[in-house]
Amino acid sequence: MPPSHSSHKPPFLLRPGEWALVLAIAIAIALTALVDANHSYWFRPLDSLRDIARNTALLGIFALGATVVIIAGGIDLSAGSMIALSSTVCATTMLALAPAQMMGFKPVGFAAVAAGCAASLLVGFLVGTLHAWLITAVRLPPFIATLATLVGLRSFARALCESTTAAVTPTKSALINISDPFFKTVRDNVWIPVAVFGVLAIVTWLLLTRTVLGRHLHALGGNEQAARLAGIRTDNVKWFAYCFGAMTAALAGLFYMANESVAAPVNQGRGHELNAIAAAVVGGCSLAGGVGTVPGTVLGTIFLRVVIDAVSKIIKTGADVYEGLIVGIVVVIAVTLAQVGQFAKGGRGLLPGALGLCAIPTLAMLCGAIVSMTAGARIGIVSGVGAAILLALLRVWESRRAA
Amino acid sequence: MNVSIANKATDHADAPAVVMRGITKRFPGVVALADVTLEVRRGELHAICGENGAGKSTLMKILSGVYQPDEGTLEIGGVPTRFTGTRDAERAGIAIIHQELALVEDLSVAANVFLGREKRTSLGLLDDRSMHGECGRLLESLECPVSPATRTGSLRVGDQQLVEIAKALSLEASIVVMDEPTSALTESESARLERTIERLLAVGTTILYISHKMDEVFRLADRITVLRDGRHVRTVNRDDTNPREITSWMVGRELADHEFRQARTRGPKVLEVRSLTLPWPEHPRGYRLSDVSFDLHAGEILGVAGLMGAGRTELLETIFGAGEPTWTGEIRLDGKPVHFQHPREACDARLAMVTEDRKRLGLFPDLDVAGNVSLCSLRDALRGGLLSRRREEDLVAGPIRDTGVKTPGPHAAITGLSGGNQQKCIIGRWLLTKPAILLLDDPTRGIDVGAKAELYALIDRLCREGLGVILTSSELPELLTLADRIIVLAEGRLTAEFPRAEATEQKIMEAATGG
Repeated sequence: MPPSHSSHKPPFLLRPGEWALVLAIAIAIALTALVDANHSYWFRPLDSLRDIARNTALLGIFALGATVVIIAGGIDLSAGSMIALSSTVCATTMLALAPAQMMGFKPVGFAAVAAGCAASLLVGFLVGTLHAWLITAVRLPPFIATLATLVGLRSFARALCESTTAAVTPTKSALINISDPFFKTVRDNVWIPVAVFGVLAIVTWLLLTRTVLGRHLHALGGNEQAARLAGIRTDNVKWFAYCFGAMTAALAGLFYMANESVAAPVNQGRGHELNAIAAAVVGGCSLAGGVGTVPGTVLGTIFLRVVIDAVSKIIKTGADVYEGLIVGIVVVIAVTLAQVGQFAKGGRGLLPGALGLCAIPTLAMLCGAIVSMTAGARIGIVSGVGAAILLALLRVWESRRAA
Repeated sequence: MNVSIANKATDHADAPAVVMRGITKRFPGVVALADVTLEVRRGELHAICGENGAGKSTLMKILSGVYQPDEGTLEIGGVPTRFTGTRDAERAGIAIIHQELALVEDLSVAANVFLGREKRTSLGLLDDRSMHGECGRLLESLECPVSPATRTGSLRVGDQQLVEIAKALSLEASIVVMDEPTSALTESESARLERTIERLLAVGTTILYISHKMDEVFRLADRITVLRDGRHVRTVNRDDTNPREITSWMVGRELADHEFRQARTRGPKVLEVRSLTLPWPEHPRGYRLSDVSFDLHAGEILGVAGLMGAGRTELLETIFGAGEPTWTGEIRLDGKPVHFQHPREACDARLAMVTEDRKRLGLFPDLDVAGNVSLCSLRDALRGGLLSRRREEDLVAGPIRDTGVKTPGPHAAITGLSGGNQQKCIIGRWLLTKPAILLLDDPTRGIDVGAKAELYALIDRLCREGLGVILTSSELPELLTLADRIIVLAEGRLTAEFPRAEATEQKIMEAATGG
């Protein structure tokens, strides 16, 4: 007999895991406010808020896309390359329509901007269609199909950038500067991406919870064969999911381009797809499909950005160096905490057997190395040894409990 | 059989093989077992009966170390024991053959038999020759004609089960637990399994046997224990009781003989199938279905009999547009020829299909009860273009009531319901689409006796309301109880058709095996 789920009432506003995220965000902010030597949360709260809000909105926009794809039981690894392609398509379109203005750093006019943005979103739709075709008609696993476009689209974007600049401007270039006032406005007004993110989140939330398509997305991710046998056109639902994923990445790409005032296919959005997937997973999405919520992903995104901001405030130098490390640690901790009940109940230990023994020095060295690099060698060694002792104590306690 | 256990227990030679005393197991929100005491004698076949959710499987999982009891004690061969995992139970000579087989499909048969206990050569490499040899001998003794090198996933379910038994034998288990072993077997495979069981008993193995099937239980068991709602009802000698009595203890009431002898009124012809042939290029036979023709009328239940692999599921899937669209022949719906490419088209033409494998092909574990029931008719739950929670609750209240689903509420987790209630939810899902033809593929598989009777009454009532029903079943008595006519498939061909009055199990079996 499976353990039955005792609560059948809808939870208050958010699910328990999501309330935990709210708490975690509050704690992260409070800690930063206390520990940060410059006390920027006290003296310049608006600057910090603006920073976090912009980064959250940009990541959040395509994290929502990743959420929809993951709920439908798929995965989209190509979002980062889609961002690069989107900004490149927008920039090259404007360059082709108004070469003189682009080269002279002058306004290109509303029509060219609109055409550029529309072209980006259209390309997003086309890439989503390509994914859906590869997955449903060619029958590639989603991981393979989007791995191919992860690698391929960035290269394609670069080729597009170089051949367009070679044709239109005197020199071939791997980046295109953007100086139109429309994009400057977007860059300087943080509420624009935040508002877009907010509206998109509400639309996605309605889509997932209150529409037939949303229910079909959940059904598809939960049990694909049963969904087909229930008369759901699963291929069409997948088509929608991958288009939504690619188009949100395309939209985010426009914001990244505005933010950086440049379309740079070589590096723009590189690795961002994993941040989006991480935000969705921290927010409670299951990579097995069928499970996930918009509030969860929004909170997961905020949490990721708040932690990254906290570390950059506390460490000061080169926070981007540690961004990947932070995302990795946060994902591991969030998913571990989600199943902490199983460890607490017993039966399962964190450090079992020979693997557990080897894990103790591994974790201790990791901890020591990170601390030495950020806070100095002496503290690093102390904290590494400290971690080793703590883990060893945990191991002893666990084996006592098992006996 | 197990020497080590026999040695350890020499002082307790007369002790029962298993004593479970006062076993209580709680899961969040439910008490799965309450103070259950079970004593199994050495060398007997002890059947354990009970409805789904009665606690049989939980009790067996405690015996085999999967779960630890909250209260109570366990003695194996007179020695008080505490298992912290399945390994402990294996070491004590207990092997369990789970209802859902636990084999690694991509490994060979021999690799599965020795999984986790691989034999090694003196160099420390895998000793395939010795493993294959021993595995081959074990399989031979089980009348299982497969090579130890075969990929396990390519075997039929019946053979996979024997691989599990071979694994139990190689463990030299003195106590073997079988959890509904025949639920997926053909008659001949069941007979082979029974011979294996007799052989195990002859060498002194103790067997605990969980089953729903009364004929099996009464043929095999020495003693029978009945559980109900996590409690021990009683343990009796087989010779002191009868199937009727056992069934009534299982459900806690006398069961009316569920027969629906009053004739139904047959309506107009709704479905004609003519010379339906479904090719199967990669198989020597060349076809899954060959030249199958029959009619279905409104207000009639057409039974489809056949052994496993005879093409029952393929027939229903082809009609429903869920299989390969490469079939030839003719399917006419109300006189109009149809060739569905997708189940959606079949739904739109007012067909409904309840699939065979509920967990794999029917249930959505992440959706709640209401979501599972409303899935095919969500349009009726819209208000202003958006799904309304209230309207959805109103929508599903009807079928939940009509099919008699027992659920704490429309938003309970579907995975918390018993198999019978899950099946009722799926039937309810299709009733909401107001179908004209209902295809039921083995709808009572893995469902307990009480729920079966309720499902029979439900199917009978739906048919009387004018639905045309095609019903397949792996249990002949079910077809004989429910169907107005029975067609028989054998290896993809239609070999006989009987009106109910003329059908007997004997005749059907002859048609299903004779071809």
